[in-house]
Amino acid sequence: MALLSISEPGQGKSQAHAADNKVVKKSAIGIDLGTTNSLVAIASEGRAHALCDHDGQCLVPSVVHYAEDGKVTVGYEAWLKGAKDSSNTISSVKRLMGRGKEDIHYDLPYEIVSADNGGMPVIKTAAGSKSPVEVSAEILKTLVRRGEEELGGELEGAVITVPAYFDESQRQATKDAAQLAGIKVLRLLGEPTAAAIAYGLDRKQEETVMIYDLGGGTFDVSLMRLEQGVFKVLATGGDAALGGDDLDRTIIQWVLNEAGITDELSYAQLNSLASIARHAKHELTHSEQTQVTFEQWSGTLTREQFNTLIDVLVEQTIKACRRVLRDAKITVDEISDVVMVGGSTRTPRVRERVSEFFGAEVHTEIDPDKVVAVGAALQADVLAGNKYGDDILLLDVIPLSLGIETMGGLMEKIIPRNTTIPVARAQQFTTYKDGQTAMSLHVLQGERELVSDCRSLAMFELKGIPPMVAGAAVVEVTFQVDADGLMEVQAKELSTGTVSSVVIKPSYGLEDKDIEKMIMDSYSSAASDKEARALQESRVEAERIIEALVSALVVDGQSLLSEAEYARLEEGILQLQKTIESGDSDAIHEASEALNEATLEFAGRRMNTQIKTALAGHSIEEID
Amino acid sequence: MSLQQANYFELFSLPISFQLENTQLEVAYKKLQSEFHPDRVVNADDRTRVQALQQTSMINDAYVTLKSPLKRAAYLLKLAGVDAEEHNQLHLDEAFLIQQMEMRETLASLIGDEDLEGLDAMKDSIDKEKTTRLANFEAQFTASQFVKAKSIYNQLQFIYKLLDEIDKAEEKLLDY
Repeated sequence: MALLSISEPGQGKSQAHAADNKVVKKSAIGIDLGTTNSLVAIASEGRAHALCDHDGQCLVPSVVHYAEDGKVTVGYEAWLKGAKDSSNTISSVKRLMGRGKEDIHYDLPYEIVSADNGGMPVIKTAAGSKSPVEVSAEILKTLVRRGEEELGGELEGAVITVPAYFDESQRQATKDAAQLAGIKVLRLLGEPTAAAIAYGLDRKQEETVMIYDLGGGTFDVSLMRLEQGVFKVLATGGDAALGGDDLDRTIIQWVLNEAGITDELSYAQLNSLASIARHAKHELTHSEQTQVTFEQWSGTLTREQFNTLIDVLVEQTIKACRRVLRDAKITVDEISDVVMVGGSTRTPRVRERVSEFFGAEVHTEIDPDKVVAVGAALQADVLAGNKYGDDILLLDVIPLSLGIETMGGLMEKIIPRNTTIPVARAQQFTTYKDGQTAMSLHVLQGERELVSDCRSLAMFELKGIPPMVAGAAVVEVTFQVDADGLMEVQAKELSTGTVSSVVIKPSYGLEDKDIEKMIMDSYSSAASDKEARALQESRVEAERIIEALVSALVVDGQSLLSEAEYARLEEGILQLQKTIESGDSDAIHEASEALNEATLEFAGRRMNTQIKTALAGHSIEEID
Repeated sequence: MSLQQANYFELFSLPISFQLENTQLEVAYKKLQSEFHPDRVVNADDRTRVQALQQTSMINDAYVTLKSPLKRAAYLLKLAGVDAEEHNQLHLDEAFLIQQMEMRETLASLIGDEDLEGLDAMKDSIDKEKTTRLANFEAQFTASQFVKAKSIYNQLQFIYKLLDEIDKAEEKLLDY
């Protein structure tokens, strides 16, 4: 753009430049990509809040619906469609991330097919096969859009949370989804770590805290040690099939018993009963009793009755806490803080029992649905370069050991669990046969000794080893784990100086070219997305041209332009302003170009005057 | 002095010695981490980020090495030009070999008897052996008696491993 390139010596910067140079706050968002619900939050000056839609809904159900015409719906709308079109409505996709088909031991309402390469399963939908990474990317796009709308324009990036126990493949899959959604990941952050950050526990010197996360369908408990900014997950536990939905189910069962209903209920009846139960549960968080009405039957449920109904479930969660403490060899009195996460921790009985059991401070001040996203946003703000207060650095550890298969089907650990990341470790291996020219390496993750009990991350072959007697060739295998817990493995043959190296990504992750293809696909299928983006970009471009031209006219318009020329440019501005309203990105782009073109002569004259002004004060010798 | 060339002690501005000021290590580690961590350069170009990744990996490795007395001992030997992992039959202490076998037998029979108290007692006595040897290592190393220091290091390797095995056996008996 001709006009923007002009600077004005002697007078400081032009207005257009001054606007460009003012300290702009870097925008970054925190995303809680949950199994049941997802959430986006932003932070500023050490404070964060969740972003909500026009109806005040902050939670985005982690549900994606694919229509036959390729239209993708996300969130509450998709959830509504699920009632009628369950086979094309994907929920709980987080459970499939970075997993193989053999990992799925439960029923899903949609059809799953194995990928050819033994990678992640693929979900069959009316709009074609979708990988869990693609589905997650749709959820992320929705959240990112919400963030962009709030902050206005491009984002610096996002911090996305993952469960503490997520292994390398699950983390990689999450990062791939972000790439596909077009958002830069500033950091993958453990969910319990995020919750602790939200409460500022990272600023304390030494602490042992328990994060109790009872969500819609999952229960996670994580014991963490915070030591001067280093977060270590000491142990995790929980129940992947226990959550708020189970609490609702106890009420459903109670209604059926009380009302004496024994007949099979229709889908619609079950649905309405489920929402009645949910409503009753919510009522009982602040009332001592509530009236429950289902069709002709009506009855009163007291909080005490409800407590009795759910006690078995609550005890299960306490048991899981006990197990985690035992795993980490920590006694309950060593816990200084308990952080409550997940909507179901609003249930008074849950809070009561947790605080009885731990006898420590139980944090519920921050909305338990939002606390993880809030922590992520705080961290995102710091990572984007917006400093506030003292600068805390978060150091994470790898949750599971990484190693390699050795003779006899044994796993040899190269990086033990709980090692602070980033970390690089090298290990040397030799050939075991004379003349051996290749070596195959099997990369594993897990704590068990037998390869069969560990998760296989990747297998690759190092070729081109020069033939030598057994044991003479030395292969150095280097594991590099980055700050997000993602790994790269390199193998080098050292003995002869010939170096061959292989960089691999785990097999459940996607190859870069796969991701590229998916990004291309998503562009073609989501033409409307692309159009919206193009429109936004063309508007920004047009506004910039107008702004620059106006400020140039103010400074030099009178002195450098004839009246007619001045009027023509003014007319051009008006024209472009009208076109901006039209909503046609191509037209806006063309009009911008035209106006820009029309200013070239003016820009040239300004340049000349400025050079003259700049030279005026100097002698010829100086310029030479 | 660039980060890559520095030895681990210099990296943390610590004297090259087996005696280590723990707080000084912690403070220096945190300072380096906050300076070089990849989180500080998330928006920089690829080269800078890869460099940060390598530098922090190295800092982490240095920290782990110096923090553990056993690893620190091996590292000091390496700096003195002695390969701590090379096992030379001539330098093996015969008395210690016999002691090793006895300790292994004791452990095996305690595990067989599921004798938790016995395991605890054994742990205590081996802990004492460890403390003595760490002090001996320091004395020999400071006196530049590297061959002797190495022999003590090899005994310490065995002792650390044995302590680990006792821990595992206890865990198993307690059914964690």
